[in-house]
Amino acid sequence: MRGVSDIVWRAVACLFVVFLLSPLVLVVLFSFTSRAQSAFPIESLSLRWWEAMFSDPRFPGAFWNSIIISGTVGLLCAVIGTMAAMALARMEPGRARPAAAMLCLPLMVPPLVLGVALLAFYSKTHIALGRQTVIMSHLLFTLPFVVLVVYARLRNFDYRVVESARDLGASPLRAFFTVTLPIIRATIVGAALIAMSLSLDDFVITFFTISGGQTLPIFVFGMIRAALTPTANAIGTLILVMTIGTTLVALWLTRYRG
Amino acid sequence: MRENRIRALLLAPATAIFFVLFVLPLAYFFVISFWRKVLFAMQPDFTFVNYLLVYQQHLATLAFTLALAFVVALLTTVLGFVYAYIVRFKAGRWGPALLFISLITMFGGYLVKIYAWMTILGIKGVLNTALLALGVIDEPLPWLYYNAGAVVVTLVNFSLPLAILPIYASMRGITDIELEAARDLGAAGWRSFSDIVVPRSRVGITAAFGLTFLLAGGDYLTPQLVGGKVNMIGVQIAAQFGLIFNWPMGAAMSFVTLGSSSVVALFTIWLFSQWRPR
Repeated sequence: MRGVSDIVWRAVACLFVVFLLSPLVLVVLFSFTSRAQSAFPIESLSLRWWEAMFSDPRFPGAFWNSIIISGTVGLLCAVIGTMAAMALARMEPGRARPAAAMLCLPLMVPPLVLGVALLAFYSKTHIALGRQTVIMSHLLFTLPFVVLVVYARLRNFDYRVVESARDLGASPLRAFFTVTLPIIRATIVGAALIAMSLSLDDFVITFFTISGGQTLPIFVFGMIRAALTPTANAIGTLILVMTIGTTLVALWLTRYRG
Repeated sequence: MRENRIRALLLAPATAIFFVLFVLPLAYFFVISFWRKVLFAMQPDFTFVNYLLVYQQHLATLAFTLALAFVVALLTTVLGFVYAYIVRFKAGRWGPALLFISLITMFGGYLVKIYAWMTILGIKGVLNTALLALGVIDEPLPWLYYNAGAVVVTLVNFSLPLAILPIYASMRGITDIELEAARDLGAAGWRSFSDIVVPRSRVGITAAFGLTFLLAGGDYLTPQLVGGKVNMIGVQIAAQFGLIFNWPMGAAMSFVTLGSSSVVALFTIWLFSQWRPR
């Protein structure tokens, strides 16, 4: 009986993996098809849809906007998130936990509502829409992740090493930069990369706060609405490579194991 | 004193972002839900007419959205529970690999996944062309696409990692010793599952359900792209900020959606907290 139930569990696990991964695998696969449709059979492999993507006049703008926005979001998140996590680590857990939960509230509001509320707010306060508003808006849903990851790392941090540095005459700032930071750097970079990957992937909030500009997801959306050509698969694959790539490095750096 | 000041200083930027870019915009948004639209401009006012219109024009859409989001959240939570259960108790050395797959599919590809389901389920899509080529069907199945089923499948697909991780995080706290002790005391199989595994995963299950329900209820791209005529409240809200251009109405619809989905989510979570499987 043991053997039979094992086989059943294994089969269920395989179905799950197929369900989770097949959409992504198919998008990648059909970016290399020679036909004009994302469908079987694939007659031969071709790079024509990748060439179509690179030669599209909207591509460079979308690509660089995505890089600039996610890079800035990652940097700001690393600094602001680490500061907040250090403040939380200095509180008793009974007070730190509600504070952390409060910072996570924006994650419970659907992106659509956040997007339109921010649009109304920027228009009221006369803040010009563009990269700057997208960056500010992205901080809302990326910051909680950075705070939580860095805070988790600081909770099992050995403060005796910092105290030794302070006893030896280092100022708090100097102790931070020479002792604390080198120890938790990998975690901070990993958390910032997760923020970048969330920022790169975001469509909804970007759509409402960029006003006419392009990022890679906005570019894909325009393409999907016009006609279903495999060029959208090429951009989709590029987004996946960038987001999953940064996530992989982040998981490796933070040694996150679920 | 000094310690307090350092803490406040360290928290200042994050708190500023929270209040200036989250609390303030939502508060302003709430205020304009009582304004009126007069000739493509907003007129400050204090009227409940937008809320009345939501009730009169969008009640059916809202009810349908909540029902669909409920189905999605329930399916996602159950499937996420099964997946987490396999990772924790059944997969053995493959557990970390399964967990890894759910992690890498979590952070990337919201729009890409919706697009993927468009190409999979379409009339000339991957599924139909594959089944035709294999000779399983003679003509394409039209009912795969542009209906509520396609919306549910797509929403479950990209919500699943969000459900797996919190449930797994709480399951990880269950030790083998507890389960062995239960078994030695005569509680094996269903008893140990219902008395240990489910109650100990409660926090994760609750978080998974709440999060997936709120996100599914507020989604607008999935019904727009794979739903065809399927009308969800998110599509209507987005329209108020596009062609219809009635922000006060969109604001009122947003708050009704937020409020009603929070009530449904909290009520379901309360029901679940009362449930003692035997």
